[in-house]
Amino acid sequence: MRRLRRYGTLIGFAGIVAAFAVLLPDTFLTTRNLLNISQQVSMLAVVAFSMTLVMAMGDFDLSVGSMASLAGVTAAAMFQAGHPVPAGILAALAVGLAGGLLNGVLVAWVGILPFVATLGTLTMFSGAAFVVSDGRTIFGRDIPEPFAAFARGGVEVAGVTLPALTLAALGVFLVVWVLLEHTAFGRRLYAIGGNAEAARLAGVPVARLRIAAFGLTGLGAAAAGLMYASRVASANPTQGAGLMLDAIAAVFLGMTMSEEGEPRVHATLVGVLILAVLANGLTQLRVDSYIREILVGAIILAAVGAAGLGRILGR
Amino acid sequence: MRRIEFLGLSRAYGGQPALVDVSLTLAGGEIHALMGENGAGKSTLIRLIAGVTRADSMRVRIDGAEVPLASAADAARAGFRFVHQELHIVPQLSVAENVALGRPLPRRFGLAVDWPRLRAEAAAALARLGAVGIDPALPAGRLTTGERMLVRLAALLVAGDAAPRLYVLDEPTAALTHAESARLFAVLRDLARDGAAILYVSHRLDEVMALCHRVTVLRDGRVALAGPTLEIGRDGIIRAMTGREPRGAARPIERSDAAATAARAPVCRLDKVAAGRLSGLDFTLAPGAILGIAGLENAGQSELLRLFLGEGRIAAGRLEVLGRPRPSGPAEAWARGIALVPRERRAEALMPGRTITDNVVLPHLGRLSRPLGLARARAEARMARDMAAQVRLRFRALGQPVRSLSGGNQQKVVFARALAGAPRLLLLDDPTRGVDVDARADLHELVRGLAARGAGVILTSTDLTELLELGHSILILSAGRQAGLVPAAGLTPETLLGAIYRAGERAA
Repeated sequence: MRRLRRYGTLIGFAGIVAAFAVLLPDTFLTTRNLLNISQQVSMLAVVAFSMTLVMAMGDFDLSVGSMASLAGVTAAAMFQAGHPVPAGILAALAVGLAGGLLNGVLVAWVGILPFVATLGTLTMFSGAAFVVSDGRTIFGRDIPEPFAAFARGGVEVAGVTLPALTLAALGVFLVVWVLLEHTAFGRRLYAIGGNAEAARLAGVPVARLRIAAFGLTGLGAAAAGLMYASRVASANPTQGAGLMLDAIAAVFLGMTMSEEGEPRVHATLVGVLILAVLANGLTQLRVDSYIREILVGAIILAAVGAAGLGRILGR
Repeated sequence: MRRIEFLGLSRAYGGQPALVDVSLTLAGGEIHALMGENGAGKSTLIRLIAGVTRADSMRVRIDGAEVPLASAADAARAGFRFVHQELHIVPQLSVAENVALGRPLPRRFGLAVDWPRLRAEAAAALARLGAVGIDPALPAGRLTTGERMLVRLAALLVAGDAAPRLYVLDEPTAALTHAESARLFAVLRDLARDGAAILYVSHRLDEVMALCHRVTVLRDGRVALAGPTLEIGRDGIIRAMTGREPRGAARPIERSDAAATAARAPVCRLDKVAAGRLSGLDFTLAPGAILGIAGLENAGQSELLRLFLGEGRIAAGRLEVLGRPRPSGPAEAWARGIALVPRERRAEALMPGRTITDNVVLPHLGRLSRPLGLARARAEARMARDMAAQVRLRFRALGQPVRSLSGGNQQKVVFARALAGAPRLLLLDDPTRGVDVDARADLHELVRGLAARGAGVILTSTDLTELLELGHSILILSAGRQAGLVPAAGLTPETLLGAIYRAGERAA
């Protein structure tokens, strides 16, 4: 029973993959499609991995989507103004870090609830993205060729070309995994999530760690925004908007795999893959996109609800 | 005269009896005190007669007629009214709305709230309590604690579908000023004169002596003593509460190496320190010494301990820990060898869903990790295993969540955390509350062992016996003020409790 509860989400994932493999025998389980899925989902994955950092503390960050947009248009605006590619990227990442640190300060020092604080900054970042881009999509000759080429590129391994975006997401995964699972920093974040007051009294510098974790989440969101801009070779002030809810959903799906309901980054990876496979498979089956949204929402609720029920019944 | 009888109240929690066959008879017109040390069963008794907790056995008779009491609604129907320790008012609502809380508001045309009538009703209820100075239109959040108490009482007057027969007040004066308390007592006397029975729960002996006609003392879940307050007297009540025969000439203090430690620098030194509620703190703790902090509940014990973690602003005096000014916060405190066992295990000490290892090593991660903060899981597990053995933890696996341990073993995890760094100053805030006898003995041994190795220990406890068993000297706090510092040798729980109450009277 306990096993079933813990691996229920994983079994569900396998079930979804198997179902699509049967329904789409020729197109679903092909190397090309799988690589395509990994590339499609890489931006969401980066946001979800870095979101796991703040969710380990029991907080969350609603501003990641608008931060991704803001980072994208910041880089594009720098390119437009004639700055070289590295400068644009650095500026975008700096904006992400600064925005994340602002979230952290609002939560840790000012004492605003994460929901309210990041709802406020969501609106601010979104407005800033419109200001920076002048409300327009920046594209075409304004986006330097090397920047757009990154997303099209890849690394060939054993005859298969791994997309650069996929590799970037894997890199972020590794960084977050090491941070959360193998450093004192990660252990302290989980301690805060377990009981913030107890952690504080046990000598954990709660406020400082909160600010740092929010800063990293902002940085991750900015990285995702850059990946997005590179992939579509353009930047507009709303293109990251859909990332936030999906990222939170992915972390929640992952949390169903933990006995204690803790967000772990490898579980978040499974959550991200579930969302990606569903989107890809349902699109191939030509399910109407609105119906698709209803299905995805229902599956998330079913997984989280089943885990909650399992926990209640297990008592 | 009306008689309310509670007969044969029993209740056990998980096999541990909290109340055993307790009977209590209350009479209209009388104020009846309920006293007892912490854990004596007072709260359980109140929960049973409030219908909040199901009794294992209980009969209730009002004027000889059997009354059902299985739910809070039954209690309300019987005319029982409760003022709990935490005052449940809604600060954003007006006084009048708070008085009417939980009842349908008076309406005009069955629709709009009839505000003038609501206020008039509230004013009338407040006037009955002599509280004419409280404006019913004011937000309740602006009232003082004493005024809030009156608002709660006014709400009780008008609440429910039966006339109030019994008022139960749980430590109502804990947060009141002297004047507010006096006002409350006048109200209670009035209510009693009007024929209500009043059950008054308090730790404060002088209040009970002045206010209450009869007293029932609980000890270990049983009635230790019941009778008219004046006949029993102050000493009789204290004896009934502690209930222990004086334990010989207490235990001789083991200070064989007293001469050796005296030469060493003190663990901490306080020179007329005042901070927040605390004042007049003036003592020196030598290495190897155990100082017990005694006082009534909430006399500032936790605040005193937290001073050494860098909490609270020091208004006057000097505080030196381990040869330096005090740390700026808990993080620095742990790094400098100051360890804390907090009062509230669940709220302040443990991460219940995290593993034993995670809970034990948390303050020591900095030392245990490689450069760049890379964690060394093996070193962490080793520390947890060693400490678990040292505190004689009973567990299945180091990876099991702390939540799945028994209360005593959870507390051992907290101790393992505190002792893991071989602290030089150990702060214990009621360290064996809710811990069984065996675990308690283990923990005491650990504390003595640490002190014998030269650490200083400061200990608070709601259990006077524990203070005397562990402490070399006892500091008496009265409303935050250091009222005395005495050697523990020769003290008994009785004499210590007497000293605490006398200190409280001098302060008042």
